[in-house]
Amino acid sequence: MTCDEFGRVLPELEGGHHKEQQEHLKSCSSCSDLVSDLNAIAQQARLLTDDHEPSPRVWNSIEIALRQEGLIHQPRPQLVPSVARSPRWRFAWVVPITAALVFGAVLLFMHQHLNNQVAQQPSVSPQVIEAAAQSSQASAVLTDEDQLLNVIAARAPTLRAGYESDLRAVNAYIRDAELSARNDPNDQIAQQYLLNAYEQRAMVYEMALERALP
Amino acid sequence: MTGARKTQSDKLSETEAIERAKQGDAEAFETLYHLHKRRVYSLCLRMTSNTAAAEDLTQEAFLQLFRKIGTFRGESAFSTWLHRMAVNVVLMQLRKKGLAVVPLEETIQTEEDSPRKEPGAEDSKLAGSVDRLQLERAIADLPPGYRAVFLLHDVEGYEHNEIAHLVGCSIGNSKSQLHKARMKLRELLKTSRAEKATKP
Repeated sequence: MTCDEFGRVLPELEGGHHKEQQEHLKSCSSCSDLVSDLNAIAQQARLLTDDHEPSPRVWNSIEIALRQEGLIHQPRPQLVPSVARSPRWRFAWVVPITAALVFGAVLLFMHQHLNNQVAQQPSVSPQVIEAAAQSSQASAVLTDEDQLLNVIAARAPTLRAGYESDLRAVNAYIRDAELSARNDPNDQIAQQYLLNAYEQRAMVYEMALERALP
Repeated sequence: MTGARKTQSDKLSETEAIERAKQGDAEAFETLYHLHKRRVYSLCLRMTSNTAAAEDLTQEAFLQLFRKIGTFRGESAFSTWLHRMAVNVVLMQLRKKGLAVVPLEETIQTEEDSPRKEPGAEDSKLAGSVDRLQLERAIADLPPGYRAVFLLHDVEGYEHNEIAHLVGCSIGNSKSQLHKARMKLRELLKTSRAEKATKP
């Protein structure tokens, strides 16, 4: 069997080879390397994960359309905790003021902390540093992701798992992208991936905060 | 509601969400969206290589699903039903744009399909050095027809008879397109690796 003949039947082969084809592969390193490469590509393709995240606008648009079409049969939930209506809750005004003070202090702390962290990585481009700072500002309301998720759970218990999964995925995306950028600081595409990853985290926090804050 | 409603639960099961979505429950719709959004969006993004188009297609796929959710009887897995809908939405969009998903004619063997090595040409094996990011980039550079068949078969796991039905071609054509896609990816990955090796 010649290489041309082998090449003609290759598209029809799905992992199985006839004896004649196997003999050819044993004797021809070029065809053997080709089959090996094509199998490696197919295998790696199977491992590609679904970790791309749409922006929050997608869900917002879907929800608006569902309401307009009458597929959602209830009004938008009022995110007011029932405890606020309790006659015993006489100091309700303390809550928003305290939240605002905590928000401001944590925002300042996270902004300074994250800028120091990012500035220590000289291989990261200015746009990525800016995106990271913006991401930290969006996430600085609650420093601890678990804390954010607990607040979501208190307001919309069924959504906690979804946001937890989102945060896990976007953090993994950031880790991958940071590794690529560190391995080749001049790789513009890797830098872009890292930028996209930070933007996505900012979006997830933004969406989660809409749920978490009154 | 009956005692089945969990007011303090931290997770709504997919089955419960489907039933509540049929009743028009907003939170149920959102739960289903979050459960499946990444898979649908990843498919759309890889098929189109365009984030804005992918988001539009994701939105359309979920809207079609939610409009028909009242008809879902559970004969197949919900995710399978949603995924098939997403694939149809994407392929329809590609056809609308005039992008030939797969050429109707049977492809003819060309020289680029031959594994024969050019004399004196340097060659190197890829096996063991295909990383995820490189492959994602290479997929984005594939022609739309090759990309669609490659994604449906190697990434999404459809069989050739299913792909043939989805895109409207023969099984032989599907196999041929897949082979050409893999060959093209091999070429792109080698080029990418060679470019990296020559960079200072």
